[in-house]
Amino acid sequence: MDKKTLHLTAITLVICVGVIVFYVNYQSFWQPQKYLVTIAVSKTPLSTPFYVAKAIDAFDGTCVNVKFDEVIGGQKAFAKVMNGEADFGTSSDSVIAFQSLANKDFVTHVMFVQSDNDVKLITRPSAQINSAIRLKGKRIGVTKGTASEYFLSILLALEGLTTEDVQLFHFKPDELVHGFIDNKIDAFVPWEPFAFHSTKLLNKQIKIHDTKSLNILSFNLISLIADKELVEKAKCVIEGLTLAIDYIASHPEKAKRIVINELKLSAEFIEWVWPDYIFKLGLNQSLILSIKSQAIWAVETKMTEHNDIPNIENFIDSRAMLQVDPGAVNIPL
Amino acid sequence: MMNGSLSQRIYFFTLSCCVLFATILGSVIWSSQTVELAFARDSYAQQVDNQTNSLKQLVISDNIYSSSYSVSHWQSLQKKLTRLLKSSPKLTPSQQTVQNSIKSQNENLKRLFSQITKNKLKNASAAIKVHLKARLMMQLEAIRSDSLQLSSIAHTDIHNTIKHEAFFIIAVSGVSIVALLFGSFTLMHIVRKSLDEVKRAFKQNHSGHFQKIHLSHPSDEFDSIVKAFNGMNDKLSETTVSLAVMKKVVEERTHILEQLSNTDPLTKVANRRALFERASMEFSRAIRSKNKLTLLLLDCDFFKRINDEFGHLFGDELLIHICNICGQEIRDIDFLARYGGEEFIIILPNCDIKGGIETANRIQHSLACHCIAMKDKEICVTLSIGVCMLSEQHKDLEQLINDTDKAMYQAKENGRNRIEVLTPPNLH
Repeated sequence: MDKKTLHLTAITLVICVGVIVFYVNYQSFWQPQKYLVTIAVSKTPLSTPFYVAKAIDAFDGTCVNVKFDEVIGGQKAFAKVMNGEADFGTSSDSVIAFQSLANKDFVTHVMFVQSDNDVKLITRPSAQINSAIRLKGKRIGVTKGTASEYFLSILLALEGLTTEDVQLFHFKPDELVHGFIDNKIDAFVPWEPFAFHSTKLLNKQIKIHDTKSLNILSFNLISLIADKELVEKAKCVIEGLTLAIDYIASHPEKAKRIVINELKLSAEFIEWVWPDYIFKLGLNQSLILSIKSQAIWAVETKMTEHNDIPNIENFIDSRAMLQVDPGAVNIPL
Repeated sequence: MMNGSLSQRIYFFTLSCCVLFATILGSVIWSSQTVELAFARDSYAQQVDNQTNSLKQLVISDNIYSSSYSVSHWQSLQKKLTRLLKSSPKLTPSQQTVQNSIKSQNENLKRLFSQITKNKLKNASAAIKVHLKARLMMQLEAIRSDSLQLSSIAHTDIHNTIKHEAFFIIAVSGVSIVALLFGSFTLMHIVRKSLDEVKRAFKQNHSGHFQKIHLSHPSDEFDSIVKAFNGMNDKLSETTVSLAVMKKVVEERTHILEQLSNTDPLTKVANRRALFERASMEFSRAIRSKNKLTLLLLDCDFFKRINDEFGHLFGDELLIHICNICGQEIRDIDFLARYGGEEFIIILPNCDIKGGIETANRIQHSLACHCIAMKDKEICVTLSIGVCMLSEQHKDLEQLINDTDKAMYQAKENGRNRIEVLTPPNLH
């Protein structure tokens, strides 16, 4: 090889290496400033995308450094967002429906999971309740202003009953089962993992009714009404969630293991709820319809003191999601 | 590679082109298949969308709570949708997630519809009926949204595949063009440079400098030419004499030949031809510059008798002896030549008659002093010398020589071993 060829080869090599180094570090060269965001995460397997995102460092490549503030129930997460303790929160569509009636200043950025069997009706086998009509006059424990209350009202309505026809007792979600054990109530409507805990605790002494598909519960990312910076932060959180959801789809077993470790749950429980879950990012018309129908229902069944149904579109902010995956946004703009 | 043959390079070059072409062709085929599959997925998503819309239409137009409502129409459409969902094409992982969602939503749809139509909700209020109908619509809307997302993913895939393919083709073509240009320029450069080197070597050969070719870019093809050329050159340089050497040899030989043609072989003094050449030159010069010119004609006395007595070899020796004596006694500018037999002429440029007589005297005296030995016997010879100086009467050289000859004969007639001068009145 003569000198000239050697030089040419060396120059070509240097250029190639330079291009590769630049390409690899391209993102870090243009890395925007990192925002520290706090997310109030509801301690339920429905928050799996968040736990997985944290475990696989999915937020590292985005513009946010994420801190989790774990809470019990979407309602608490909502409260933390509203009083400024958290930038974002995870919240069920039922909570969103109830809060929209109060015209709170919040928006929904994305729906990240759906479950068609999250809220369950639990009774004593001895009560022989085979149909909702048998609930008439019974003492029923619910968590006020959540999917629990909404679900019970639907169940009753199917048989022409209202919440007036039963005795409602309000409990915190983790205290429902104790009310049941203490015989303060005849039936209760918990969500997961409290339904599972109840079966573990009481085993044969309870009956879980098959109400699959009767209520679809979705979990959503919410924040205060977003300015430009908050939309940017939401975009980055959604980018991390996208990676997490791809990971869940491609490595379901590893994802389950992450949630088991994070929530100190048993593998048995995860296997119990997992088939009911659909992890998918989306912001579509069905979410609006779901919130709207629940809001209307809450007004009509007098679960709330508000009477006006607000424009649900006002509580949806698609700007962040449109930047990440416009194909998953199907709402009238 | 650098020392390989040019044909090897060309083969390599051609092979590389073929590989690049095959790569592009392969990628085009791959991308067209990917796009085709993406179109199939898109068309599947469209069908799901259409099917869902039909169901939606049904929910909007019919009163599902009416006692006369027949569920068969719904069920057939629902079955169609379920069948369609089972016949999905191969989906990407992200599409599979959406597909799972659609399937699950479809199951919910079935359950919800059967719940609603089980007993026509005979106990339920109007509100819950409206609410459940809204739920049904929501479920359908969820499926529709998902199918739109499927379609959108397919579109994105098509777009990305085409974009990547275009980028790949441009990149491969760009690299190919650079490689082809580099390769062809290198080849051209090597061929041109090697040809130049060979040409230069031929040129130098032509001018007699036998130099070997050293290729700056060795290649098998040119190496064979160079080897043949260098071999030929070696042989040529052994057998060929350069022009300069040849010139020198010729000059030397010419000089020797000239000397031979101008020299008397016996006495080694100038011969008659050289004499006339020199004499006419000196004659012309004397006439032109009006200088004096004197000739001496010397003849050995009784030479025939000596020859007869002592033999021709001795005669020859004697003549050489006379020449040696004369040579010693004349000036550098003087010229001694053998005129014929035992006769010699000495040309004395810039010399008058007096100088001529002096020279003649010196010669005679020296010859008298140096006798020649022959068989313990000393043999002394004498010379009769005629002297004549160029005068106005002499029109040419022959007249001057003739007059000198006359003077010599007078010396012979007057008793030999003497000097005679032809004075002007006696000149021809």
